[in-house]
Order: sequence, then C-alpha cells, then structure tokens
Amino acid sequence: MTSRSVALAVLSVIALLGALTAAATTGTPAVDVEAGRRKAEVCAQCHGPDGNATAPGTPSIAGMPAFYTHWQLIMYRDGRRRDPQMTPFAERLGEGDLADVAAFYAAQRATARPASTDPARVAAGRPLAEKFHCTSCHGPRLLGQGQVPRLAGQDFDYLMKRLSGYKAKSASDLDGMMTMVAQGLTAADIESLVHFMASLPPAP
Amino acid sequence: MSPSRLARPLTVLLLGGGLLWPSAAQAQQPAWKQGQPPSMSTSPLAPIPAPPSPTPAAQIPVDKIKLPPGFKISVWADGISNARSMTFGDRGTVFLGSRVAGNVYAVVDRGGKREVKVVAKGLMQPSGVLFKDGALYVAEIPRLLKFENIEASLDSPPAPKVLYEYPKESHHNWRYLALGPDGKLYFNMGAPCNICDPPDTHANISRINLDGTGFEYYARGVRNSVGFDWHPVTKELYFTNHGRDWMGDDVPNDTLHHAPRPGLHFGYPHCHQGDIQDPDFGAGRACSEFAPPLLKLGPHVAAMGIRFYTGSMFPSEYRHRAFIALKGSWNRTQKSGYRIMTVELRPGAPPRYEVFADGFRDGDKVLGRPTYIQWMPDGSMLVSDDYHGAIYRITYQP
Ligand code: HEC
Ligand code: HEC
Repeated sequence: MTSRSVALAVLSVIALLGALTAAATTGTPAVDVEAGRRKAEVCAQCHGPDGNATAPGTPSIAGMPAFYTHWQLIMYRDGRRRDPQMTPFAERLGEGDLADVAAFYAAQRATARPASTDPARVAAGRPLAEKFHCTSCHGPRLLGQGQVPRLAGQDFDYLMKRLSGYKAKSASDLDGMMTMVAQGLTAADIESLVHFMASLPPAP
Repeated sequence: MSPSRLARPLTVLLLGGGLLWPSAAQAQQPAWKQGQPPSMSTSPLAPIPAPPSPTPAAQIPVDKIKLPPGFKISVWADGISNARSMTFGDRGTVFLGSRVAGNVYAVVDRGGKREVKVVAKGLMQPSGVLFKDGALYVAEIPRLLKFENIEASLDSPPAPKVLYEYPKESHHNWRYLALGPDGKLYFNMGAPCNICDPPDTHANISRINLDGTGFEYYARGVRNSVGFDWHPVTKELYFTNHGRDWMGDDVPNDTLHHAPRPGLHFGYPHCHQGDIQDPDFGAGRACSEFAPPLLKLGPHVAAMGIRFYTGSMFPSEYRHRAFIALKGSWNRTQKSGYRIMTVELRPGAPPRYEVFADGFRDGDKVLGRPTYIQWMPDGSMLVSDDYHGAIYRITYQP
C-alpha cells in the first residue's frame, strides 16, 4: 500500500469513527488496545461490542489470537478473502489500525454461542480432532495460537461453512495448511467435528 | 517458509493436495505432521508463526549478531512484511518476494534512506523474484508472472503477463526463482508432502525459457530446494535442500548438492542425506543409486538462500565461497540453524563449512531468521529476514 493510500484509508476510518486523535493514526506501530477498542466500534453492529457476535453465520472474534485476526484482516483488505459484508469494513482500516483492532479482540473474553449440538455427534467428533491433529495446530483445547484461530465455542453455521469451504478448496487460506488438512475429511467427519468444536468452552 | 513457521514451519508445511498422498491412512495427516511416527504424536513442535507486521528497525536486535573481525551488520531497510528472496533491478531497485504476506516489494535507495513500495499484492505466496532486461519475473504458487519495464513504473506497475501455469496439484509449493548461465529461468517444484512418493511433476528443479516455453526437468529426487546458485567459474549448479521432518532431532540433515548436469536424481523419497534409507520409502532402494549430497548442513536448520561471493569488499579468502542462510528449525527440541554459514569448495578435499554470522537466536528465543542473500554492487551483503520483515547489510573494513 502506498503511503498515500494508507493516508486515505486512515482518513476514511477517522470519518467513520469520528473519534480518532491524530496521535493514534501516526507515529510508531506500537500496539494500543484502547485505540483498538475505538477503531472497532464500527464492527460492533455485526460482531458485538466485545467481539461476541449473535447472528448465525457471523463469527465471534473475541479471544482470537491477535496474529490470526491481523492476518485475516490483511487477507480481506487485499482481496484474498472475500465476503460482501466484511470486505468493505476491512478495506477502510489503515495499516496501523490492524494490530490495534486485533489486540483489542484478543483481549476480550469469548462467550459461548448458542448451539443445539447433538451429544452423539460431539462424542464422535472428539477423537477425530486428535486423529487429524487438529489439536496440534489449534491447541489442545482448540483455543488457537499464533496465526491459527480459536475454534472452541465458535458459531456452528460459521464453522460448517468454513470447514466445508476448505474441503471444497474454495475457502481462502493463509498458508494452504487447512485446505490440505480438510482433504482427508468426509462429510460425516466434518459434521461431527463441527458439533464437537461448537460444544467446547470458548475461553480457558 | 516454508516450513512458516509460518516460518520454517512453513517450509515443511508444504504438502500438496490429498490426491498425492501415499496411502489413505497417511492422507489423513496434516501437512507438517504427515510422516510423524505414533511415538511422536504428542510432540508440541509446531511451525513458528509469521508475525503479520514487520518489526521497526530500532527494535531489531542486530547488535546480538556475531561476525568475524572487521565485519559489521546494520538494518538496511525495514517495513517489508515477510521479506524473502531478493533481486536487483538495473537502476538499483531491490525487489523482494514474500510468502503468506502475498506481496512483491520494491526497495528504492534514496541516499541513506530506503523507501519500500508494494508493487504487487494479493498473490499466492509470491516467493520467487528475478529481474532480467527491464522485467521482473515473479513465481507464485500457481503461476509464473512477468512485469515488463517495472523500474519505470514502480508506483503504478503494469498488469503482469502470465508466462506459465504450474501443475494444479502443487497448491502448497512456494518457489525460488533464479537465472541460469544458459539464460533460462530455474525454479523448484517441491514434494507435495513431508514424505511420500511424489509424481514426476514434483520434487524437482526445473527450467524454462524466458518467454515461458521449453519447460524441462533439470534435477529430480529433490524434496524441496528453495535456494540455488551457479559457481562463478565452473557455472555449475549448487542447491540447498530441506530434509524431511519427524525422523528425530538429529536426522536427517538439510543438504547442499551439486548438479553439474541435468538428469541426476538426488534420492528423495528413498534416501536422505546420502546415507539414510527412508523408513517407509527406502525399502528395495539403495542410497548408492542416487547422487550424494556434497555436504550435510545440519538437522532441521532450514537451509535457504545460497550465493557464491564474487565481490571485492570481503577479504580474499571469501572469494568464491558459498554463503548459506540457515533460517532455523522448528522440528527440533533444541533450535538449530539461525546462522549464516560459508562453504569453501576444495578440489580433492571435503568442503570446509564455517559459521559466518551467528546469534539469530538466544537459547529458544528467536532473534531473527536469515532467509536470503544478495550481493550489492560494492561487494557488501544484503540478508533478508522474513520474521522481522527487514533487510540487513553486512560490510567489511579491515
Ligand atoms: C456488516 C457486518 C459486519 C461488520 C460491520 C464487520 N464484520 Fe467482520 N465479519 C462479518 C461476517 C459475516 C464475517 C464472516 C465472513 C466470511 O465468512 O468470510 C466476518 C468475519 C470477520 C473476521 C474473520 C473471523 C474468522 O474467524 O476468520 C474478522 C477478523 C472480522 N470479521 C473482523 C471485523 C472487524 C475488525 C470489523 C470492523 C472494522 C468487522 N469485522 C466488521 C460481518 C461483519
Ligand atoms: C497444520 C496446522 C493445522 C491443522 C492440523 C488444522 N488446522 Fe485448522 N486452521 C489452521 C490455520 C493456519 C487456519 C487459518 C487458515 C486461513 O487463513 O483460513 C485454520 C483455520 C481453521 C478453521 C476456520 C476458523 C475460522 O475462524 O475461520 C476451521 C473451522 C478449522 N481450522 C478447523 C480445523 C479442524 C477441524 C482441524 C482438524 C481436522 C484442523 N483445523 C487442523 C491450521 C491448522
């Protein structure tokens, strides 16, 4: 991004939020959670004030590893991940905003999304998460780490859409790992894994 | 990348589509875990994540890097997220590729200050870059691209021409790109897995004409080479190669190879480091069937860029030595690599392998990850670091 387009993006965020100080948009890239809270106000209509969304299909981003949120915002902004609702908001964020917003959401406590998970499916999904090494990358309790997202307690419909997308090779994918992993899953595996992931507590 | 960690983690992460897996059972394993024996299934070793923002120069601990007497290192440019391989334009622009960042960069030297521009973005791991006759060639995973007359239009780069489309099932295959003495573009097509019997289209180094025609395989049985160079005198190809993961902390080694002619087979997946038969794919094959490595570079070190020294700034003993960047391990209990080495080729004797730059880690703490090497016209060295998103410059003064 050129410095001019960064400036434009920053300006549009200022216009949008109406509450940014010049200091928050210039200077060092040190991460500022409070600035992140203000910059994320515009996101609340869909993701909730603290990153806990309620609409089925919209992911909760509270308690997500900061690197993950940051990378995904870069992917939306650069057109590598596309969504009609999400893309325009990512495009309005400036380079310096991404780390702040990501840090703000990482610091929020995730709450469980309502899901009518089927206990039999949950029980079938648990061993699959070990067998396919989901836990190696996403962490033993699927809370995520580094550039790998939290899955525990995430919205059921969203998990289903994403995991099926990797399997169909149609989902965006930062490094190609998930697409590869999903190739070994059957439709029944995906269903069971989604029930299992949605049933887990979303915070430590 | 590699395993990317996205860092070396990524290098190994490569793996390809499920169709290429050796068996149904193995097809269920994730990229970088694939080939891990049950005894290691609880290993906490996982790729090191690539930070999404580059580190500002003032926060990069270059003062921790140890060099031989007379050498100095400084941060030459920062703000280059996920900086990978480098190539110089005719007018002095340094172009760089990246992996997960999806960007191609141009760094313009403005007398003591460097300006960083993004000349292409949103690409799929555009890690290979090469400048030739005014054009920038970029190898991303799915395509080989050409940006004509790039230095005249750094602020509004032309739309690229697609010169070549790589095999479809090579989804997890980031590439290195270099110009051979024969005027052809060389690139790797790595194995689509940690360990598997790859199809002919993978685990090789191949070449193509500058106009995208005349594709041919050059070297086979190469698990994944993301660095090569040609000897300044003999003009023969030397390349680094990443050894497989999950065979333990101390084997196999990453390796340096010599490919003086096309058609040689370097052993993957049957034989590793010239003397270890693969536990799954070695049966019925002998290491003696394959071209042996010239040198073992260390286990899991993530050997990346290699460049022979032809400049005149460094002391004469460095002339024609190969410098190799070891980005550093993830698949090892104690980290290894995180150094720049030199290799002196000696007729009739084994190569001499020495540490040049050390200290890119402090115990288990990553201080930097040297990734690729490029010589400046004055003979000083540029080193990219894809962890900090920076370029270092190493100079010598007696
Ligand atoms: C109009 C509704 C809407 C608004 C406003 C919105 N988002 Fe989103 N967001 C979505 C939807 C829907 C998705 C899932 C889209 C998809 O599947 O790619 C999403 C996905 C995301 C993701 C990816 C989460 C994951 O688990 O991969 C992140 C990160 C994110 N949004 C951050 C933000 C931020 C930061 C803002 C404010 C700058 C914002 N969103 C504003 C609807 C919205
Ligand atoms: C090799 C590491 C690795 C393994 C193993 C792995 N994942 Fe992932 N997973 C990732 C990464 C990295 C991402 C983010 C990819 C992207 O950019 O879309 C991800 C993303 C996801 C997402 C999308 C979440 C969101 O918020 O959008 C789901 C769902 C998911 N993984 C489920 C699984 C399941 C189920 C398994 C086991 C079958 C698994 N993963 C195994 C690394 C891994």
